[in-house]
Amino acid sequence: MNFLLKNLTILGESSTTNILIQDGIIQAIGPDISAENAEEKEFNGAIVSSGWMDADVQVGDPGLEHREDLSSAAKAAAAGGFTAFACQPNTQPVLQSKSEILYIKNNSQALIVDVYPIGALSHNCEGKEITEVVDMHHAGAIGFSDGKRSIQHSGLMLRALQYVKTVDGIVINRPLDAAINGEGQIHEGYVSTTLGIKGSPSLAEEMMIQRDLYLTAYAESKLLIAGVSTAKGVELIRQAKAEGVQVKASVAVLNLLFDESSLSTFNSNLKVKPYLRSKEDQEALWAGLKDGTIDMIISNHFPLEEEAKKLEFSYAKFGAIGLETAFAALHSQLNGRMSSEALIQKLATGVRQVFGLPIPKIAVGEKANITIADPSDIWTFKRQNILSKSKNTPFINALFKGRVLGVVNGIRTHFN
Amino acid sequence: MATVQQLSTKHVLGIKYLTAEDIHLIFDTAQTFKEVLNRPVKKVPSLRDVTIANLFFENSTRTRISFELAEKRLSADVVNFSASSSSVKKGETLLDTVNNILSMKVDMVVMRHPAPGAHHFLSQHIDANIINAGDGTHEHPTQALLDAFSMQEAIGDLTGKKVAIFGDILHSRVALSNIFCLQRLGAKVRVCGPPTLIPKYINQLGVEVSYSVLDTLRWCDVANILRIQLERQDIKYIPSLREYSKYFGINKDLLDQLDKRIVVMHPGPINRGVEITSDVADSEHSIILQQVENGVAVRMAVLYLLAATR
Repeated sequence: MNFLLKNLTILGESSTTNILIQDGIIQAIGPDISAENAEEKEFNGAIVSSGWMDADVQVGDPGLEHREDLSSAAKAAAAGGFTAFACQPNTQPVLQSKSEILYIKNNSQALIVDVYPIGALSHNCEGKEITEVVDMHHAGAIGFSDGKRSIQHSGLMLRALQYVKTVDGIVINRPLDAAINGEGQIHEGYVSTTLGIKGSPSLAEEMMIQRDLYLTAYAESKLLIAGVSTAKGVELIRQAKAEGVQVKASVAVLNLLFDESSLSTFNSNLKVKPYLRSKEDQEALWAGLKDGTIDMIISNHFPLEEEAKKLEFSYAKFGAIGLETAFAALHSQLNGRMSSEALIQKLATGVRQVFGLPIPKIAVGEKANITIADPSDIWTFKRQNILSKSKNTPFINALFKGRVLGVVNGIRTHFN
Repeated sequence: MATVQQLSTKHVLGIKYLTAEDIHLIFDTAQTFKEVLNRPVKKVPSLRDVTIANLFFENSTRTRISFELAEKRLSADVVNFSASSSSVKKGETLLDTVNNILSMKVDMVVMRHPAPGAHHFLSQHIDANIINAGDGTHEHPTQALLDAFSMQEAIGDLTGKKVAIFGDILHSRVALSNIFCLQRLGAKVRVCGPPTLIPKYINQLGVEVSYSVLDTLRWCDVANILRIQLERQDIKYIPSLREYSKYFGINKDLLDQLDKRIVVMHPGPINRGVEITSDVADSEHSIILQQVENGVAVRMAVLYLLAATR
């Protein structure tokens, strides 16, 4: 199938142009090009960039396919503008050996998005014994993590940081000290106090970030702090980077968009980890994103069946889907904190830079790997349009400004 | 000239969702019902043809009986449900359980539930009036109303009065509802207990915090003493009940050191010898049994006023 994509603004340029894609390859770029036997699509000046990548997607495949399988996750990702994502190891069984990594790689070959598995750091993500990370690396794992489970054992964390240096690998940890956190349901603060809900002190995150930074510096290894949510956490990372520690950090979309006050009505669709913290924390996350302390934005896509969410707040599970709404929701709330172009740039390059993956080029002769987004499109996100198998999102019926119009990844395309 | 007075809400999910006007209206109505309760014929026909379901997903004796009596004094039809004898144990969700009961044409739901916010959740999905009879560590609004009503009875208008809440503040829905209610009525509130049982951010609610029982007793006009909720403590917040009673319990010696007479309250059930000694609980300071009596009148008022919003 051949496409002539008309009137696109290439990210960073000021005038519009057309792009001709034949059999998945960019054949021509220019304002005056035309082609026979190509399907023409008009984009009225929308922005085209390298295809976006998300680094934190929970897929239920294998084992929890009723929540999300690779195919549905890929469709949701494409609808959200992503041409690649990294998936978490918290499946059943856990992605913890070469065979599970190959299962993901083999079963995602025909999908519109490139799927990069993250291998478990410890057996069954139990935080006790290290897995065969070198073997998984050679099978295609791009990093090692216990996913949604934080690594509590300092000794294991240190050995993991040391051992992944064999393959110049990166350890990914979600910082949350379980002993301090207890059964925290939401951020500990004014809202948790007025609701009588067990709070998670910011300290639980800050202490583990501090520990992990110490361990990373000692091991002279690479660490990705997944989903920082506290102002102090951002500051610790900023300092460590200044001192030359090889640390990277991500922030989840919902942490940029909401604070604890949105939980005062017990909305279980906003019951997520990392916890939605204070207004000051929220602004510190934006500041960290802007000055490069935080390297990338993650959708933190966590599909759950309705039965896990339509419950009393304390019984509801943590998590929200986010692939399809990441850009639109963020773009709707930029409020001058960042330009549309800067946001698109982060989504297109942030993750790939952290993992050392090549950034797709928009140039003649290159494989097409692009995302097209219109920052001015105003639209409503409807439940019936959700492509994810799960519908646990706080954004049903939300009015968004900014919309992904489509993606092309080689011969595969998706247009919204 | 009669004005129709109504609550600002169709549910009583917590004190924080009531206005000061709502609370005064409830008190005025409760005063009337208290007079009714002291007549030879204690029953009025106000809620005839109103069906009320008492859903208790957590154990309760006092609150359940108090509500049931209040409902019966108002001539409502009453059905009772408790989790131990229910389908909840078979895995039914709260929503399914309640919808099944509502299919039998129930107008009002009085519910106790271990999960904070359970009543909120329910109010978004069902049509009946909902009264919160305790939701985990969140709120217990009718307890706070009867506490404040009893305080007013004992010491008059609460504006500027000092009320201290002693004990396990962290796990107490009574403490939280009391704080909101007393502040609406203009009282000053202080909490006192072991630091591990006081929420870190409680001062953001505008209350004072103290770890000294004697200082706080000297400060206050009313001492509301809470039970140590061992069943809600997943980990040990205090070393032992012995040490707790020694350093945080209220006893006669402490009261004797005061140069004024204070009012002593307790929402029950009392752990005699732990947070309060018998010579305090049974003393002339104590209005514990008046609280129980007022509980029925206050609950009658809440039920009556909510039914009027239908």
